[in-house]
Formats: sequence, structure tokens, C-alpha cells
Amino acid sequence: MAFLDACSKKNDATGGAAAAPTATFSVASPEAPVKWPIYDDNKPIASGLTPEHGATINIYTYTDYLDPKALKSFETKYKAYGAKVTITTFEDTTTALGKIRTGGVQADIFNPSYDQIGKMVTAKLIAPLNHSYIPNISNVWSTYSNPFYDQEWQYTTPYLLYGTGIAWRTDLVSEDVATLTNPYDILWDPKYARKLSVLDDYRTCMGMVLSRNKLPINTYKPEDLALVHTQLSEMNHTTFPKVNVTDYTDLPTKIVSLCQAWAGDAVNMLSYMPAGQSPDVLRYWGPSGPSAAVDNDLLVMLKQTKYPVMTQLFLNHMMDYDVAISNFSFTGYQPPQTLITPDKLVADGFVPATMASAVVRQSDYEQGQHILELPPAVDAAWQAVWEQFKAGA
Amino acid sequence: MPGVLWLALLFVLPLYIVLCLAFGTFDPVFRSPIPVWNPLQWDFTQARYVLDHIVGSDGFFGPAIERTFVFVFIASAGALAISYPVAYYVCRFGGRRKGLLLTLLIAPFWISYMMRMLAWVNLLQTDGLVNRALSLGGLFPVHVAWLNGRPSTVVMGLIYGYVPYMILPLYAGLDRIEPSLIEAARDLGASRFATFRKVTLPMSKPAVIASLLLVSLPMFGDYFTNDLLSGSPSTAMFGNLINNAVLVPQHVGEGATFLILMFIVLLIPMAYYVRSTAREEGETV
Repeated sequence: MAFLDACSKKNDATGGAAAAPTATFSVASPEAPVKWPIYDDNKPIASGLTPEHGATINIYTYTDYLDPKALKSFETKYKAYGAKVTITTFEDTTTALGKIRTGGVQADIFNPSYDQIGKMVTAKLIAPLNHSYIPNISNVWSTYSNPFYDQEWQYTTPYLLYGTGIAWRTDLVSEDVATLTNPYDILWDPKYARKLSVLDDYRTCMGMVLSRNKLPINTYKPEDLALVHTQLSEMNHTTFPKVNVTDYTDLPTKIVSLCQAWAGDAVNMLSYMPAGQSPDVLRYWGPSGPSAAVDNDLLVMLKQTKYPVMTQLFLNHMMDYDVAISNFSFTGYQPPQTLITPDKLVADGFVPATMASAVVRQSDYEQGQHILELPPAVDAAWQAVWEQFKAGA
Repeated sequence: MPGVLWLALLFVLPLYIVLCLAFGTFDPVFRSPIPVWNPLQWDFTQARYVLDHIVGSDGFFGPAIERTFVFVFIASAGALAISYPVAYYVCRFGGRRKGLLLTLLIAPFWISYMMRMLAWVNLLQTDGLVNRALSLGGLFPVHVAWLNGRPSTVVMGLIYGYVPYMILPLYAGLDRIEPSLIEAARDLGASRFATFRKVTLPMSKPAVIASLLLVSLPMFGDYFTNDLLSGSPSTAMFGNLINNAVLVPQHVGEGATFLILMFIVLLIPMAYYVRSTAREEGETV
């Protein structure tokens, strides 16, 4: 992956349009892992410090994306220090990042995707970690001790995993989507016009179109984007899809018969089935091996925190097996715990056997494709295609 | 003076900020919008992008704008068709129950627009009450997917959502018509229908125009009804274009440009209303 020389506009008092290069950062990928610098004015705290008394840790994350019991158990664990945990929510990480940057939100922990790490490190918005406070890293897949997006996990701890695929109801869809030659084709099948939805996330949805055509999901090529544009337009005119992120309620309530879905949402659907209806009608298919589309998000400590010890202890807390499994029950999204396997989750009753395919395997994560950061000009080209699709042209 | 201050704070200043965003730039790393406060430094790139993509072979914003006009026209007409008879009935035949009827008409205001739309989401589900009612208790299985990209559902939602806003000004307008004028028309031999056509209807014209404006202006910017009752790009409206743009930080300038365009377009009916009101006031004097 080529090095990206990113420049930032000078944000002077008049808001002038003059641009001035202020930063350089790399685009991380499995082929070109990145070890971020540790700056002199942004170093990890020393080891062996006592946790701060009276700390209130504010976590900036998505709505319903953190089990309240995890917060309670942390407060109980550090009761002697008077620890409290609060949550502030955001709709999307891009806007959230903007608020952190402008000081609009005061938080200790942020929940970004890994394509934002470069910007945050370069702008010194996040603080490097002292690993001695986070021994539970040993509970998660070994990949995360040296992830491609943050070699030697200097700034990040993994949070939850999300594969992407298709969910459907067997009582409304006659085909077994998983056995189709190209399962993605069903999203273009006129038979399911006005009965399906795709995810309202440009990288995920456009990535799905690229996967349908066996193309890399982080393409820079204009011809690939032109193909995505054509096929999304075809979809708009043949199946009139809903474009939203409420698939986890829409499928159980039969608003749609099938949908593009994150694996975590597919697991969540089980708890949204109306009373009297069996969740056995729900199915999920996600590509596996090198075609798998699997990503994870992260927890990072913001530089603005006043409680770096307690904040890192909270990061450690979230990787505790019992906390992580309880959080999985609440969010439907899977933590990368080594003890979690599809068989165990089925055996323990967290997931029915019919939905075992929604559980992400370590091999799929390691072999699969990840949504990577795009250079600004390429990202703008992606956004333009998405904008046209959403405009319903 | 208070009026000038009110206008400056709540109209001129926000409009200026919108202009500074529309003609501003964005941070290429964080993608956040950068308003340009100095008009001499305004950058028209984002505004030009929007204008270049409204008409022509590359006009992918055009269909949503056309669709908005069609939806708003039908929904406003539909709302008027429902509201006028209701307001007329309450005004002429409400009698001692006028207060109660008006209270019932205002009742939807007590529930948020979002909640009312969410109620429809429930009713219009494939297994919902509407399909069950249409199936006459299961005699004729009906599986209409009302919530999946149907223009008719969006228009119905707009009508339902905005009808209360139309009834009240219509009622106020009809209530102001002197009963003696109607009695005079009847005394002079006009039938009920002729009285309505020659007296009530012309005299309620300002209220009709005001109520049409009152509902059609917010309908033009509405994105919520489409998001909840359709969610499909195939029914996207002008408001959805704005909402889609402002949700992407580097497209905020485009969103601001859409807003200015909408403002200019909506000035036309506003100007017509102000002119016609002024003319009628002049005639009255």
C-alpha cells in the first residue's frame, strides 16, 4: 500500500480556504502493517501507578453497544476508588471524531474503527497504552497483540468483531441463499423486489457489490467503482431496496424477507422475533476464508483523559472473559475471545445451531478481507458513487 | 428594533452561516467542513457540483427533486381534500361541540411526529393491521409490502402527518366569514352549493393558500417520513438529499447548497402569498 501524504487545511481564525500540509500518516493494511510513532509529548504513563480516586470514565460509543452490566461490574470492582462509568453515544464515528477533535465531547474512551487510527495518532488525539495495566490482552486472539493497523498494540485494544453477509427468513425466501452459486445475486433478483434491504454504510454496501464481482473491497480503480455504480443503479431499479441499519428488527418483523446484515445484527435478530414466532426461520450466510468480510472495532484511550490508569483498567476489564461474554449477550456482537468458538456458543445456548454461521472464526478474520482506509481522493470517488445511489437516480 | 434583532439573530445570521458552509471547504484529513467567513474567499466548488448534477445526463440529483414536487403536490392536495370538509363541518355544524371537536383535531399535536410515523410502521407491516383489515379477517390473503419503497405510502404518510397543520388555519379562516353573508346569499335564493361556491369558497381562499403554504413548505424539507415509511432511495426526496449530505462531513457544503436552493424555490410561493394577502387587505381597506 502506498504511503499517503495527507495534508490538512489550515483552520485559521477566518476559516480561510488556504491549505497547509500539517500531517503525514500511513494507510495500514495486512500487507503493509503500521507501527505508529510514540511522540515525546504523548508518551505512555509509568507502570505501577495507583488508580485515580473518584474517577468518572466516560465512554464515547454507539447506542446500545456496551452492556450496562459491564459498567456496573467495573464500578463494583473499583468501588474502593469510587470509580464511575458513564456513556456518551454517537451515530457514526466520523462525526464523533470531529466532535472529539473540536473539544465538543469530553470522553476518556472512544470506540473508533481501525481506519481512523492514523488520523488520531497523528493529531495526538489518543494516548499510547501501558501494557502492564492491560494483562487481559492474553484472553483475545493473538492477532490483536500485533494487529496490522497498530503493530505492538501501542494505542488500541480490540472490542467487537463484525462479519458481513446476508440474513433471510426461510418462510419468506424459498432458496437456500448459502447454496446459491453467487449468494449476492439474490439482492438483485426481481422476485424479491420491495422485500429486501442493504446496509446504509457506503464501505460495507459497495464492498458487497465488489465481492459479488470478485473484486477487492478496497479498490482504487475507477473502472471498479463504475461497475459498482452501474450495479447499485440496477439494484435501485429492480429490487427497490431499503437502505438502512435496522435490519435486526426489519427481518424478524417481516418488513423485509432478506437483507444484507452484519453478523452481530443477525445474532441480535433472535431477540427481536415477535412473540409466538420461532427464531428457527432465521438464517445467515457470510463468505468464509479469503472472501470473508470481517472487521473489528477498537477501544482507545483519548489523550484528554484525566484518569489514564482507571481508563486503561477499564480497557482491561472489557477483555475479561465473563465481561466479554455478557457483553456479547447484550450487543449480539462477538468479542475476539480465544475461548469463544461457534460450537461453544451453540452449546452454551448463546446462538442456535441454525445461526452458527454468524459466529466469526479467527481463520476468517486472518484470511479475509478488511475494510481499509482510503486516500482522500479515492474516498471522495467512493462517496460520490454512494451519493448517487442514495439519491435514487 | 426587537423585530430587526429577531430577524438578524434567527434569520440573517443562520443564513449567513449556511452560505459560509456552502461556499466553504473541508479538511482533507478529518473531512470536517470548514466554513469560509470572508465572502471574498468563498469557494464555489461544492455549490457548482450540486448545480451541475441537477439536470442533464449527469443530473443524478434531479429525480429526487422532481419526485419531491410531485409528492408535495399530491400530498398537499390530498391534505386539503381531507382538511377542508373537516374544518367546514366543525365551523358550520360544530355547534356546542366545537370546542371538543377542535380539541380532538389538535390531539395529534400532543404526540410527536416521529411517534405517529412509528405507529404507522407498526400498522403497515406485512403482518400488520392494515393488511389484516384488507384481507377481511384472512378471507383474501393480502401481503402488500407497504413499507418497502412505495411512493403511495410516503404520500399517505405526508398527508397524515401534515393534515392537523392544515385543519387549524382553515378552520380559523372559515370561522372568520360573517354568517350574515351566507344568510344573505341564501335569502337571495342561492342554493346551499351555490352559496358555498360563490361566497364561502372565495372568502376562504386566503386561508386555503395559507394552509397550503403551511404544510407544503415543511413537506419540501421532510426526510423523516420517507426514511421511516420507505427507506428506499427510489422514493428519496429533497430533504433526503440534504440529510444524506450533512451526514457525510465532507458533503456538508453540498447540503448547505441544497438548502439555499430550496430557500430560493420556496420564496416564490411565499412571495405569491404575501402579494395576494397584501392585495386583499388593500381591497378590504
